[in-house]
Amino acid sequence: MLRKHKSIRNLAMTALLLAAASAISAAQTTATGVINGVLVNKNGISLQFDTDPAGVTLGAAGTSAATAGFGTISAFGPLSGGVSRPSVTAANFTVRTIFDVQVNQGGLASPTYTLSANLAAAAPTGLSYKIDAVTLTTTAQTIQVNGAYNTDVAHNLDLIVSTAASGAGGPVVGTPITTTINFTATPN
Amino acid sequence: MKKVMLLTIFAALMMISSAAVAQTATGTLTVTATVNGSIQLVFNSDAAGVALSSGAGTNNATLAFGNVSAFGAVAAGVVRTTAANSFTVSSAVDVLVSKTNSASANYTLKAQLGSADATNTWQVGGVTVTNAAQATLTATGTYASNSNFPVAITIPFTTASGTNISNTINYTATAN
Repeated sequence: MLRKHKSIRNLAMTALLLAAASAISAAQTTATGVINGVLVNKNGISLQFDTDPAGVTLGAAGTSAATAGFGTISAFGPLSGGVSRPSVTAANFTVRTIFDVQVNQGGLASPTYTLSANLAAAAPTGLSYKIDAVTLTTTAQTIQVNGAYNTDVAHNLDLIVSTAASGAGGPVVGTPITTTINFTATPN
Repeated sequence: MKKVMLLTIFAALMMISSAAVAQTATGTLTVTATVNGSIQLVFNSDAAGVALSSGAGTNNATLAFGNVSAFGAVAAGVVRTTAANSFTVSSAVDVLVSKTNSASANYTLKAQLGSADATNTWQVGGVTVTNAAQATLTATGTYASNSNFPVAITIPFTTASGTNISNTINYTATAN
């Protein structure tokens, strides 16, 4: 009788151990999964204008829509800081400032870029605009064919002003004259 | 199978289309300026006068007569007249006034001595100039043309030999 009792007790203990082991096993259950992240590497190119140390301080520098203010200009009078007057002739005078263009690219195999520019509208009477050696028109013209990426590239911006009086072929006097120049950088 | 082929062709076309679109970056630079009219005055050597010793073609020049006397030799370009108690030396000097972006028809030119001279008499273009006030040399100056306004100094005989005579003449051109 006693032997039977012990046997039953052993069975019960074994059952308890198995149950406990099962419980522990259940607590260690892990879930696994795999997330497949797909990245599409889009190449791109951007252009921004920066203030050149030798030029006027640009408005909205560091963006692609900046402003260069020459202030008041004349053939013989004082000029704003960052504006120079390389030449004065009987027919016209030139005022100049320097600005920087920085073109950045990512994901492109292009080693350099071509920079072109055009006037958004016809130049005001008595004024013409040059970037480096290129006189601007409303048609895009190449300014630089081998622009280096990711660095400021300085360009001269010249205003050639007729010395004629307003109404006689010269520009309007005493009123701010605004002109927009469009730039395009194309990877080579 | 046919669907797979069509999808493959479509995908290929999409890739070609994507590659064909060249990427560019654009920007706009707005340029502003206000043009003002201006005039400029410069001194030039006159062919008939003493060559300006410095500053020809600028608005800050020097006219050096050298040694002058009532009866002795004078430098080339110096014209001398002698009176009873004084002598006058003069030299032609060109004044060039230029204008830009202005409808002004002519200019008024005035001059004034920089400092008083109680001994000598100074004239510019035949007009006596002192340091007291500006004297008008012309009221109808012609732009963009060298105009001779001789500078003359009348020196009394009582002036001691070796006396250095020096003064500054300030010119002002005003657009009419």
